[in-house]
Amino acid sequence: MHDLVSFLPLVITCTGALLLMLYAVCPKAEQEKASLMSMGFFAVAFFAQLLVVCTVSRPLFPETFNGMLGVSGFTNAACLIVYACGFFTTLSSHTYFRENHFATVEFYSLLLFSAVGMVLLSMARELITAFIALEIMSLAIYVLVGFNRASSRSTEAIFKYLILGAFSGAFFCMGTAMIYGAAGSTRFDSIAEWLAFNPATTPLMLGGAFFLLITIFFKISAFPFHAWVLDVYDGSSNPITGFMATALKTAVFAMIANFLALSGNLHDSWITGLFWIAVFTMFGGNLIAIGQDNVKRMIAASGIVHSGYLLIALVAINSEYFSGAVIAYYLAAYSVATLGMFAALSWLGGEGEKRVTFDDFKGLAKRQPLAAATIAVFLLSMAGIPPTAGFMGKFYIITSAISAGQIALGVLGIISSIISMWYYLRLIVSMYFHDAEEDFIVDGSSLASISTVALAVAVFAIGLFPLVL
Amino acid sequence: MYIDTLFSIFALIAIAGSLGLVLFRHPMQSALCLAVTMISLAGIYALLSAKLIFLLQLIVYAGAVMAMIVFIIMFLNLREKDLPEERERFTYLIGGAVLLIPVAWFMIKVMKSIPGVKNSIVGNGFGSIKELGQVLFTNWLVPFEIISLLLLVTLVGAVVLAGIRRESND
Repeated sequence: MHDLVSFLPLVITCTGALLLMLYAVCPKAEQEKASLMSMGFFAVAFFAQLLVVCTVSRPLFPETFNGMLGVSGFTNAACLIVYACGFFTTLSSHTYFRENHFATVEFYSLLLFSAVGMVLLSMARELITAFIALEIMSLAIYVLVGFNRASSRSTEAIFKYLILGAFSGAFFCMGTAMIYGAAGSTRFDSIAEWLAFNPATTPLMLGGAFFLLITIFFKISAFPFHAWVLDVYDGSSNPITGFMATALKTAVFAMIANFLALSGNLHDSWITGLFWIAVFTMFGGNLIAIGQDNVKRMIAASGIVHSGYLLIALVAINSEYFSGAVIAYYLAAYSVATLGMFAALSWLGGEGEKRVTFDDFKGLAKRQPLAAATIAVFLLSMAGIPPTAGFMGKFYIITSAISAGQIALGVLGIISSIISMWYYLRLIVSMYFHDAEEDFIVDGSSLASISTVALAVAVFAIGLFPLVL
Repeated sequence: MYIDTLFSIFALIAIAGSLGLVLFRHPMQSALCLAVTMISLAGIYALLSAKLIFLLQLIVYAGAVMAMIVFIIMFLNLREKDLPEERERFTYLIGGAVLLIPVAWFMIKVMKSIPGVKNSIVGNGFGSIKELGQVLFTNWLVPFEIISLLLLVTLVGAVVLAGIRRESND
């Protein structure tokens, strides 16, 4: 019964995806209706997920599924974030596609399918299952990125993402094969048993984990594999960029945290590597973000920096009593602010995303005070100013790093977050301290505006919410 | 003894095929090289007593997938003048190879650490359709089921990206 309840949200999302796929062939299908339907499915899945109470990690349907899927408090939190991201992405898409006419019903079906992949990925307790879930998620996202066939930038984005993504996916298979060669199993519990008696620095295990991490670093755009992220984020439509930056990152982080938390042995052998990757990701991302004039590219680059902070949390996790609360909290805080930014961009972007650079937002505060205020809230949260959620998230990450003995990493995280204020505040300055050059006429009653305001409230709500995960 | 020799022959052909895949200029030649690699991989599977995988490799990959790829290349009807000029391709190839040296060195180290095990013939049923099916539908049910979702996503994606789109409703 417990298992059924835990599995129900996934079934709802999957049913939604299939129903919308069937609805797409119906001759009277309309994409507006489809967007309302997918909103409903995401909302129902979210509330069904809230019903799942899970304090200890346990396998799902152990007899039938053979321990390949499992749930824990951390997985629950990750699933909640994914469903919420899906819901708010649909809200912004609804508005976005009023002015940009290239959506079809399949768009929402693929959105739900990718959410299914993400949820499976965070539940996966076995490497092959994880790989298939990763590919379900990625394939759906590739198509969503290239949805606008008329735009050459969108085509370039899907081409780059597809080729590089397929290439990086191959490393995951290779790593799985090597781990199987070492531990004799691809199931997390068996690997943990093997690691209890063998060192994680056995060449095969080390090599396998190395290849797995290459794929993961690519997907979360960590340091040496971050080059694709600007063009891909820039080329895809605003709602999808928001979805990619938040839900996808959440699912991948959930999977890798579950994997690294398998045994202290495995985690210890990667601490030094993760340390340097985290440092380079933060500072490399900051350097790229400072040089951007385009708001979307700036957010994409700042996404790299946030991956760096999350890697700090990965360095600091403790496999003895792993709850992932710090990671889940930061992911929630980051997702709310980023989704809010993209909801606001979908709301204000206009036809063909004509408002994209910092200069385009000059004087927004005089014409659209509400929009400017919400954008400012999101930017301040990303920069980590109290009392927003971003501040609490960073606070938890840095204190967890320091209590794990990684003082240098904590200090570098603070420095990086001070540097990042430069480009976040730049947009605020341009919105508030310049005269308006245009009227910013937008449809005030759109769903994206509602979602922007709701997310701005959520930034404070999560910021005031104590760490109870 | 002769198993080792056969393995070396298949492995060398597979590597030669994949080198050809990368180095030939015309896509058709590359596609045929890929077929060579696929067939020699089937040989390696057969050496491992993986009967069903051997069959599937030949029928699906060397047969169906390759035929599909060759057909697509034929449809495109590429001529010498359609191919892009790649003047600096060897510079890139050498650069890439140099970058891969540390990874290759690491891989060789890993491979050397694998303990040598004497070849032995595994049980009679190993790798047959029945045995594989039993494992697939009991222990590996979840991956098998979610693969169907993966194929569905691919199908929908292909229709969206390549199919005819109806005009927007508004």
